[in-house]
Amino acid sequence: MKKVMAAVMLSMIWSAVTVAAGTEYRMRVDGLACPYCAYGIEKKLKEIEGVGKIDVDLNAGLVIVDVAEGTSLTEPQMKTLFQDAGFTYRSMTEKSLDESAKHE
Amino acid sequence: MNPDCGRLTLHGVSTLVALMTGSVVIGTGSAWSAPITFNTALPVAKNEFLVREQFIINRSSDDPISLNRDRTAKAAVSVLGYGVNGKLALFGVLPYRDNELKLTVAGQRIKRSASGFGDLTVFGRYTVVQRDQPGRNFRIAPFAGIKAPTGDDDKRDATGVLPPSVQVGSGSWDPLLGVVSTYQTLDYQIDGQISYQINNEANNFEAGDVARLDGSLQYRLWPRTLGGGVPAFFYGVIEANLIYQQKNQVNSQSNPDSGGTRLFLTPGIQYVTRRWIAETAIQVPVVQNLNGDALENDYIARVSVRFNF
Repeated sequence: MKKVMAAVMLSMIWSAVTVAAGTEYRMRVDGLACPYCAYGIEKKLKEIEGVGKIDVDLNAGLVIVDVAEGTSLTEPQMKTLFQDAGFTYRSMTEKSLDESAKHE
Repeated sequence: MNPDCGRLTLHGVSTLVALMTGSVVIGTGSAWSAPITFNTALPVAKNEFLVREQFIINRSSDDPISLNRDRTAKAAVSVLGYGVNGKLALFGVLPYRDNELKLTVAGQRIKRSASGFGDLTVFGRYTVVQRDQPGRNFRIAPFAGIKAPTGDDDKRDATGVLPPSVQVGSGSWDPLLGVVSTYQTLDYQIDGQISYQINNEANNFEAGDVARLDGSLQYRLWPRTLGGGVPAFFYGVIEANLIYQQKNQVNSQSNPDSGGTRLFLTPGIQYVTRRWIAETAIQVPVVQNLNGDALENDYIARVSVRFNF
């Protein structure tokens, strides 16, 4: 039983480390003005391997994406993705999820 | 049956068929927060599908002549939209119709009816102007398509072949074209559309061409103040539909009891989430300047749902 508990704990720690080592991208997107906009964008982002949590903030015009370590999002890739969804990509900032966690 | 009655039935009510058809074709657009009775210029994402199912009841019973015509046209209209890319979207529209016409002939009340799948319409819409800003966008998108004669246009009952006003299909290939424009913000959305449908001859009958000018305002009633994330929106909707139809032709003769101008005011409500939209509206005729003894509309009621896939 102790071995099982230890394995579960290790697994949880490993998962946390994996996510924490990833990257958070904050993208400014123009044209987002209704709830229906969000779904198509989320769907397109989820098609990218390594993409985890996606938050859309309509009021701020922001799309926030967490990706796993080893995955990176590029500006040309995002320009095309948002163009295909019918919107206009403007800019992107990125920071380590480790760094994000420290600020929380 | 009094032949005059047949002529009046054929001529006077057929206008409604064309109006209803035009309304179905043009009014089944994209699945954003969007107008309820016509299309929008908002995009369909590349390789994505959307589906809309709209239920329509069109009642007309205010007959100016002694036939006491009473027509009810019900339709369940299925729409499939597909995004070829961020600018080009293709749509297919297939109605299932249930038409019923009651009238008094020689002192007797008779009923003529038909039901079945109607004419399939396909059209493409391309965004030529796109201006995106934070929390708002503006688009202009022309569209063009054709209505194919897939519905039955030769249904019969015990009295004989049903008039065009009761048939579920028109029998003709009818092209349509137009331009739609949308200005959308987080608080409200304005859409405008101008369109024209050319109706062609089939079975010695040609419905008059239909020109439409539509406008829509959707105003966010809830949430009153926007916070973060993606909340569902509840919109109040008011639309106006100005519809002009030329006179019909029967055996190449113009029918004086057909065509004219209608103006509808259309209040409605709309609930918009990330995956689906539910909405309802009622088109109330405020002006009906119709030719001769054409039958006037009482109302057109619509309920619809739309889904993103």
